[in-house]
Amino acid sequence: MSAADANSRWMDSTSTLGDRSAYKKVWERQAQDPDVASLAVAGHTDEATLELSARGFIDTLRTTVGLSPSDVILEIGCGIARVGRPLSRECTHWFGADISAGMLRHASDRLKDRPNTTLVELATVGLQEFPRDAFDLVYCTIVFMHLFEWDRYRYVEEAFRVLRPGGHGYFDNFPLDSKHGWNVFVEGSRYPLDRRPAHISMASTREELGIYLGKAGFVDVQVHDLPNELIAATGRKPDC
Amino acid sequence: MSAPPDDPGQRAAALQAELDAVKRRDAEFRANMVKEFLDRGERNTYLHTLREEKAGLVKREQESFADLEFLTRKLEAEGDRIAALEGELQGMWRSWSWRLTSPLRALRRAFSPGAPAPAAGGEPVQGGVFTYYLHTAPFRVYRGDSFTLRGWAWPEDGRAITAVRVNLDGRTFAGRHGLEEPEVIARYGAQPANPRPGFEVTFATPPGRHLLSLEAQLGGSEWRWIVRTSVWCEPKAP
Repeated sequence: MSAADANSRWMDSTSTLGDRSAYKKVWERQAQDPDVASLAVAGHTDEATLELSARGFIDTLRTTVGLSPSDVILEIGCGIARVGRPLSRECTHWFGADISAGMLRHASDRLKDRPNTTLVELATVGLQEFPRDAFDLVYCTIVFMHLFEWDRYRYVEEAFRVLRPGGHGYFDNFPLDSKHGWNVFVEGSRYPLDRRPAHISMASTREELGIYLGKAGFVDVQVHDLPNELIAATGRKPDC
Repeated sequence: MSAPPDDPGQRAAALQAELDAVKRRDAEFRANMVKEFLDRGERNTYLHTLREEKAGLVKREQESFADLEFLTRKLEAEGDRIAALEGELQGMWRSWSWRLTSPLRALRRAFSPGAPAPAAGGEPVQGGVFTYYLHTAPFRVYRGDSFTLRGWAWPEDGRAITAVRVNLDGRTFAGRHGLEEPEVIARYGAQPANPRPGFEVTFATPPGRHLLSLEAQLGGSEWRWIVRTSVWCEPKAP
């Protein structure tokens, strides 16, 4: 399938903004075939670009929160395991959670040769499937733009719960005050009111992300400006 | 346990290696703990689903038994009525007036046109070959004022379903089609002409016996019936 075909089918698979909170429905529709799923979660369909962008993100994790071979890691909204596939080589175990079973099916195909990975379908917003104090690192990348603010905070709170004391959290989004962020905002404003897609990207501010982490109980909260025009908030769960 | 090396550098390296091993064991323990937690959660969810399904099946079984009993009684009553009518007919055939008017009936048969008039309710609809499933079975005794038939279907000839309806004794009720059925698509594979094969039709169920025909329009033109059956609508007992 060509990129243009996938793009057109992606457009057909979108839901309207009224469905934005129905994350399972919205993302199941976008997960119907691997190319559309890949386009929806990563913006491209070829494996080499997926790997390259994932490598870039792993470097970001390394510089912002640090990585260790003994880490047990959880990704919130792992989609097709774009990051999980390469990251699983660098940790003890990688868990990928997503609200869409369809996305997880594609992820499962991509992780066949990775025994130290586990995929979990989330029933709803939150991480109720996971126990507390379990992970060294919980991260969520290229997801917050598709969530309402209350749900962003819910995931931050939940990440705090499932992190072990001393573990790190990482959450990114695009900021409104970057050139890219403003362009996305202006493009979104051009949709007719009744045709705004449910997955439309919505920015965060540095203050917003910092507040979420602070209110959830994280310490050493920092907001990083990343080279790819994203901002990322990181924090540590205090030791007991 | 071996004696610690004298060299501070070697000692630090040995301690570091030991620390790394402990960290790895701790990580493996936590990873296994999460997996067990997930496994238990899945089992609980699965058990809950099974229990709910079982309760649903028991309820359906009870309803089916009640309907079966009702239909059996109806059949018995119809049998009695047929026997009574047959008796009446025999009596009529034996009567003087029947025998007297027999030549007139023979003449009428000889001069009457052949086929009976078509039934009311528009063009007759032919049956089609569909792959289908009905979530709400029509084979029941209808006790409410209306009923919603839900299911999914696609024609074997690969054409698109462009509308659905229920025809109840010639009265039609338009339904909604193009509803998502992800589990069906996952099981049977993509249906290019009918990517969302779900439908639902709500129709009135006035008391009495009716012919119910669930019909689909194919490719925007002809209608074909998916399933046909006689139904009994009985108001709920007060």
